[in-house]
Amino acid sequence: MFSETWVYLAHASEIKEPNSFVARKMGQRSVIVTRDKENKIHALLNRCTHRGATVCREKKGDKTPFFTCPYHGWTFRNTGECAAIPHQDAYGEGLDKQQFNLKKVPFVSEYRGFIFATLNPEKGRKGIKEHLKSAAGRLDEWIDHNGGDHRAIRISGAQQYTVHANWKCLYDNAGDGYHPEFSHQSLLKMTQERYGSGMDLDYFSGGIDSTPMYSQSLGNGHSFLDQRPCMYENSAFERQRPQPGREAIVEQLTKEVGEQKAKAYFEMATGAGMNLNIFPNLLFIGNQMQVITPLSVGLSDMTWYSTTVDNVPTVVNTLRIRTQEDFTAFGEPDDTANFEACFKGMQEREIDWIDISRHLGRAEDSTDDSGVVTSVISSDIHMRTYYEEWKKLMQSNDASRLG
Amino acid sequence: MVDTKNSAGHQDSTYLNEAYYDQLMHLNEDWQLDGPVPAINQPSLADKLACEALVFAEARLADDLRLEQWLDCYSDKSIYWIPANYPAGDPRQEITLEFHDKRRLEDRVARIRTGVAYSMLPVIRTRHVLGNIEYWQGETNEVRARTSFIIDALFNEKHRTLSGWIGYSFVKNDGDWKISVKQVNLIDADCLQENNTFFL
Ligand code: FES
Ligand SMILES: [Fe+2]
Repeated sequence: MFSETWVYLAHASEIKEPNSFVARKMGQRSVIVTRDKENKIHALLNRCTHRGATVCREKKGDKTPFFTCPYHGWTFRNTGECAAIPHQDAYGEGLDKQQFNLKKVPFVSEYRGFIFATLNPEKGRKGIKEHLKSAAGRLDEWIDHNGGDHRAIRISGAQQYTVHANWKCLYDNAGDGYHPEFSHQSLLKMTQERYGSGMDLDYFSGGIDSTPMYSQSLGNGHSFLDQRPCMYENSAFERQRPQPGREAIVEQLTKEVGEQKAKAYFEMATGAGMNLNIFPNLLFIGNQMQVITPLSVGLSDMTWYSTTVDNVPTVVNTLRIRTQEDFTAFGEPDDTANFEACFKGMQEREIDWIDISRHLGRAEDSTDDSGVVTSVISSDIHMRTYYEEWKKLMQSNDASRLG
Repeated sequence: MVDTKNSAGHQDSTYLNEAYYDQLMHLNEDWQLDGPVPAINQPSLADKLACEALVFAEARLADDLRLEQWLDCYSDKSIYWIPANYPAGDPRQEITLEFHDKRRLEDRVARIRTGVAYSMLPVIRTRHVLGNIEYWQGETNEVRARTSFIIDALFNEKHRTLSGWIGYSFVKNDGDWKISVKQVNLIDADCLQENNTFFL
């Protein structure tokens, strides 16, 4: 399936300089995402065209115009082109080295710093914007929350976890507005006990479907869950549990830039209040990006990338980072335990089905001109919309993509 | 100033300022010992024994899930730090796996104590083994140390092993030694992690 659609690979800030690269997965394929000296971005299959060895064994690097395979020394440019074959004469006269170029993912495209690629020529020709559809506008809003200049957004490290479940169990959760009150009880209860009510995610307790929060199907498997109406009703920063160093940063920044401006920075550091799910592997959660990669049927890589912003006072980024450590320590572990439990249950032989019918065919749901369907926050519309896309892709699977 | 009503009754976090972060970066370097600790930098035998007792007690209390007593091993101005890189970088610029002041460390314990922390159901049993401990004198009333560790963790009837090294800074307040900084460097800090919601 990851060969059939656009897949998120990397962020432009991770390969900022010409001749830099990062090693990534595209589904189960190993790829090297490179920026060549002309600033063009390539996604090369990290498999030597000689005997198949892994060409690049590092996770990232710069000043790397060439990759040399450690086995027999075949050398490739960061455009994929085969540059040198040691003792080439043994292959006879007139060897065409080009036939040994590293295989490339044919379509690589960037949307405001987010690098996607696809092996599917049909989707590739239509372009990334056509794939993102209404998710593009939401991504713009996420960038606006972070200052509006996408070139200033930077990846500042990652927290990486394995989840012993199929990758779809993680994606299922990404737009699930139903679970926080239950799955995140430890977070909610601890916060209530130590800091009182009106804090953090406690707007998820009680009659959530009568709150102004909502859930949307954006088309092409993408979905969106909007917490902003509750989280930003007054101040997201004020309702947040205090993060390490908060007092010192508030004091310093208020002194530096004045109360008004400082307040705006604090709201920005707190989190976007958006759950934007870009099918199949890129999830925006607050100010973080979660990337899901299937490692096998029952094992997934869940990587949380942290983001900072270049053109703000440095303490704002310190606060952003301390804030982004919070959910992975206090919220996600309980969800992960539940994904793993779901996956275990799905393997019980006698029972085939799970339920995703919540708010199915709800009369009040509205559809706009672009096909975006809006439902209440606890709706299963997210799962229904992405399984529809998943099914379509599974049925069109073309195993011969790379030719 | 920030509205303090929500943090009333809790350890505040005014101490974690730029100077404290600078000090953490200084420690980060100091823990990279060149050779054996020179005799002149050795702490007094009494201080060394007190810190050693503290290190072992902290590990044991975490293993025994006596988390309130475990918290008590940390000073009021402490940092518990698990970098997400190997070697660790500046926590002001890169995300960590965990980075807590005393207040958020108390939050971590309180979360487990709610009884609905599903990542700890069934509870994760651990055993720390600490070895190769080296101690040296820091500033006045401060001792530093570095140790290798192995943690065997049992969850859902499966064992797994974590390992790495820990950097410590201990401070003496009113005659009592406490942990002021603990930096846990997992050898796989920048690789995929499992459920690590116990204390390392
Ligand atoms: S396998 Fe790469 S050079 Fe032989
Ligand atoms: Fe969740």
